[in-house]
Amino acid sequence: MKTAAARPSAGEDSAPGAEPPAPGADTAPPARIGRWAMFRLRLRRDGTRLWMTLPALLLVVVFAYVPILGNLVAFEEYDPYASDNGVVAMFHSAWVGLEQFTRIFEDPAFWDALQNTLVLFVLQLVLFFPIPIALALLINSFVRPRVRAVAQAVLYLPHFFSWVLVITVFQQIFGGAGIIAQILRQNGIEGFDLMTDPGLFKFLVTAEGVWKDAGWGIIVFLAALASVSPDLYEAAAVDGANRWRRMWHVTLPALRPVIALLLVLRVGDALTVGFEQILLQRDAVGPGASEVLDTYVWWNGIRNQDFSFAAAAGLVKGLVGITLVLIANKMAHLLGEQGVYRK
Amino acid sequence: MTTTYRAPKMPTSMQRPGPPAAHNRPAWEEPPTKVGLASKGVVLGFAMLAILFPLWIVIVTSLSSKETITKAGGLVLIPREITFVAYRELLSGGQVSRATLVSLGVTLVGTLFSVTVSVLCAYGLSRSGSLWHRGILMTLLTTMFFTAGLIPTYLLVQSLGLTDTYLALILPSAVSVFNILVLRAFFMNVSQEIVDSARIDGAGDWRILWQIVLPLSRAVVAVIALFYAVGYWSAWFNASLYLNDHDMLPLQNVMIQVVQRQEPPTGLGQAVKAGPLSPLAVQMAVMVLAMLPVTVLSPFVQKHFKKGMLTGAVKG
Amino acid sequence: MTPRTSTGTAPAGAPSRRSFLASTAVAAVAVSGGASLLTACGSPGGGKDGTTSGKDAKKVLPTFMARTIVAPDIPSEHGSSLGFHKALSSDQLKSAVPEKLGKGQKITVMSPYWGSPPKQDNPYYKAANEAIGVDITWQNQDGMHYDEKLGAVLASSRIPDVVVIPGWNMGGKIPSAIINKFADLGPYLSGDKVKKYPNLAAIPTDAWQRAIFGGKLRGLPMPASYVPNIVPYYRSDLFEEKGYEVPTSPQEFLDLAKEITHAKAKVWGCGDMKWTSFNVFGVFSGEEKALGWNMVDGKLLYRIEQEEYLEALEWARKLYAAGVVHPDAKAQQGDDATRFTAGQVLMYNDDISHWYGKTAEQLPQNPKFTMSGMDIFGPDGGKPVLYAKQPAGIFAFVSKNADKSAIEAALAAANFTASPYGTKEYMLTNYGVEGTHYDIKNGLPVKNDKGNNEVNNAYVMLASPASTLAHPDLPQITRDQVAWQQRHGALTRKTSFYGLQVTEPAKYTNLSNDMEGMEDEVVRGRKSIADMQQFISTWRSKGGDQLRDWYKKLLDDAGSAANR
Repeated sequence: MKTAAARPSAGEDSAPGAEPPAPGADTAPPARIGRWAMFRLRLRRDGTRLWMTLPALLLVVVFAYVPILGNLVAFEEYDPYASDNGVVAMFHSAWVGLEQFTRIFEDPAFWDALQNTLVLFVLQLVLFFPIPIALALLINSFVRPRVRAVAQAVLYLPHFFSWVLVITVFQQIFGGAGIIAQILRQNGIEGFDLMTDPGLFKFLVTAEGVWKDAGWGIIVFLAALASVSPDLYEAAAVDGANRWRRMWHVTLPALRPVIALLLVLRVGDALTVGFEQILLQRDAVGPGASEVLDTYVWWNGIRNQDFSFAAAAGLVKGLVGITLVLIANKMAHLLGEQGVYRK
Repeated sequence: MTTTYRAPKMPTSMQRPGPPAAHNRPAWEEPPTKVGLASKGVVLGFAMLAILFPLWIVIVTSLSSKETITKAGGLVLIPREITFVAYRELLSGGQVSRATLVSLGVTLVGTLFSVTVSVLCAYGLSRSGSLWHRGILMTLLTTMFFTAGLIPTYLLVQSLGLTDTYLALILPSAVSVFNILVLRAFFMNVSQEIVDSARIDGAGDWRILWQIVLPLSRAVVAVIALFYAVGYWSAWFNASLYLNDHDMLPLQNVMIQVVQRQEPPTGLGQAVKAGPLSPLAVQMAVMVLAMLPVTVLSPFVQKHFKKGMLTGAVKG
Repeated sequence: MTPRTSTGTAPAGAPSRRSFLASTAVAAVAVSGGASLLTACGSPGGGKDGTTSGKDAKKVLPTFMARTIVAPDIPSEHGSSLGFHKALSSDQLKSAVPEKLGKGQKITVMSPYWGSPPKQDNPYYKAANEAIGVDITWQNQDGMHYDEKLGAVLASSRIPDVVVIPGWNMGGKIPSAIINKFADLGPYLSGDKVKKYPNLAAIPTDAWQRAIFGGKLRGLPMPASYVPNIVPYYRSDLFEEKGYEVPTSPQEFLDLAKEITHAKAKVWGCGDMKWTSFNVFGVFSGEEKALGWNMVDGKLLYRIEQEEYLEALEWARKLYAAGVVHPDAKAQQGDDATRFTAGQVLMYNDDISHWYGKTAEQLPQNPKFTMSGMDIFGPDGGKPVLYAKQPAGIFAFVSKNADKSAIEAALAAANFTASPYGTKEYMLTNYGVEGTHYDIKNGLPVKNDKGNNEVNNAYVMLASPASTLAHPDLPQITRDQVAWQQRHGALTRKTSFYGLQVTEPAKYTNLSNDMEGMEDEVVRGRKSIADMQQFISTWRSKGGDQLRDWYKKLLDDAGSAANR
């Protein structure tokens, strides 16, 4: 099938043509052009685009990087109130080297939390991640505009529920005094209570997440689907491809770059599996089943204003995240995808 | 140079007058099978039901009196009466109209600003051979994984003189790297042939962005605008942190605090009396009001989702 | 210690990482019942950890001068609040501040606020400022998320003139901030200097003692009764209807709860009774870490080391095991009080203020509604041994950057708001302006809409008179409340560090992190008492024993306030 090759390879360099004198980045510079001249050529070619990135870059440097410097307190025993202000206090707090990190790694509770986090991540990846894609395809397959419009509008709504409310609603349906439990009780079956079952907790959390955010998650995929030319479908149909083959060979390839990007970013964020949601239900099942990395850090650091501990944990998490995203990106490349950036 | 570049013409299939009646299935598409349609209907119906049932509970509770909620011992399933007291409580009070204006203003200005900055940045990074393009990408990406603490962020915003200004509600949260990456992925998906031919004809980057890339990326720009708008509209933490003057607070903060008034903390002794309303009803009303903007905005975004609207984006 | 200090909701919308963090205050309260947030207040003596008591404290404490402007209907006895149940007409109101102490100074006050704050120039703020003689600009902050705001503002070098900090926001390193950032009020209040502010001088010394941070008098207190505040309530209306007898022993309670429980009809015996269980079995107060230490036979014991602690957990656990606790309480979702007023549970425990609060709330819609507090019984029936809670919980502080005139303005305002019941100043502080914010109906002041919108928790946060229960609209409730306090106050003992601000060394901050979670696991049957014993012995070896030595030394050096 011809359209199978429709995977975009757009935007990659080494597609010269555009501005003839400027060689692409990956192309070895011709020997007669010096490095400096080469640089100036590229600067002239890419100057406008560099300017375009400047506002965002500036905002990120000022509002992200500058305060991130504050994470240096991970190597201290930081008391922000010991001096006139928090910045001065950074220079007056005692340096403790890697002590905060040792504290984290020597705590068995940390490893338990890490394990819960990873299990939950895998569950969410398998049970949650594909659902918005499937829903987007489903909605897209309805031809009546009104069905699509209404379905979308409704599916977005739960995203705007707060976690407190989502959990309250789940409690009223699946709790020990909830609708299901009461119906079962009327029929002589006691003891139904999904909300306090440590064994099911991770599935429960995933289900709550799906309920709240799967509908909202379809929106990016719908945008991607909007960019598929009907000509491609028509051509495929003319070639005799049925509904399923068209989905496989036209629709999915169009979604692939977006799926790959979101997947790579999700993997990078593997250690983030929900915070408020889990904290709110921590006592219903106990920390053994529910403690994840973020709640662990909150419980043992932020809650007690142990800023150094929290910063150290944040650094560990960030390093793991960056590593994972780079690995995931590499794997995306191996599968022929863009991922976040091209190597 | 005189040539201007426009998005390619609509493909013929779209220009055809649509088939009669409610659907616009193209001629080449086979009619759906009964089984297929039924099963799709069941799945979608189930999903809708799973949402509408809890939504029903929320709306009914928001319209219930304190008495009904007391009898139900929590969320109300079956309405006994309809009362708008919770909404009145939320929407009366001198602060609400002003707070609504603040929220609208911040959302509008913030969204415009964020979308502009993000589109520019995403386009600037959409050619992977570009100078420093990897470095800049990594610089942005890193911030997704390392978060700054509350205190350094607060001290920064304060030292920039932004506390007690509305800029504090916009600038610190203006850029979402995630949104930039999504935009960039879509921009890179725009057919390179169109871009290249424009370039050969001497079009600069500004013109390519404005006349080719943006028109072909309306859907994703609409989505990102929605993301930003929803973010600004529902944000409350920065306001509670950076605004000391409570006369400046946006709507979300005012509503959150109305909820709290119904249930002041104990330990204040008798200093504070509970409000006359069920906190639950007010909470639910806040939730319903929170859903309004997206319900209003959704059609505008969906307008850009029509099938095949953005042809030419994928190389055929 | 209230089982539930407050509840709330995070707002809707896309929760970013930051908004997650922001809503932790909500979550914390919901999860831990507020208890853990109340831990670790204290004051380093001269920049170090420790406390101030005995002679050192005497030097800085204000001289107490009793001041009875309106005699209470029920005087304080055994540490109870003052009870007022008769309404006073406008012309009976006395004046507690005959001449304005303010001199027109301008100050800003940052304070937590539950409710939508009124506009800055509203009639209530204007009238109060006018009466005090100080132009106060309020920064009414979101009370539910005050933790974050406070933590950030105190780390900056620009601090409002006055900052109000409730005890539950004094976790972590906030005590260090209090000592470093706030002014010593000693030069204005210690000894006889307080006479300039007669209403402040009438605040009980116990409460002032709690306001000593880092060896200096820094806080303006909101006094509280030291009698344990957790009342086991029962629905007296439904009890009468069904003929249930009020239980007088743990066994009777359990039997009754079983009798009440009809899960099919959605009725359960009780909510979570852990805090009552601690009171029944005589466990030292858990309100604050320092209160949990007590000298027993010459040895300092922490509450979790008491035999009684395990007994208390075992009884609470029996209730869960018998299935008499509402399942939502087991999941720690929703609110026991709501289920109580709904009649889904017939017994629950909560702060004493709910006695009035819930009754006043329910009566208009359900005239038959009555709730009562049962007397706490001992382990085998009979009288329990109770332990005191702290006599003050909320404090206002003055920035150390404030000049003399600003400090005097703050004290003038505090002296005004500390006016006792029965004065014009009390009415203005608590009800606003007659005719504008409240009207007299049947001899009772009733707030109107404007009053409800504007007269909230602003001025009342500055400093308060001696703990007062004044509900002229429900005189019987007032009598019951005070009588309950007096009966239980007679059984209340004070642990070694009662009334002191104690700051533990930072390295012990995390020592008891998991304790409450562990308790909840044990009572819900997910962990056994043996697990708890294991936990306690780990606690000892991980630093509990060292902490004991630290407290012992503190006691030897400083002596306890209770023995003062």
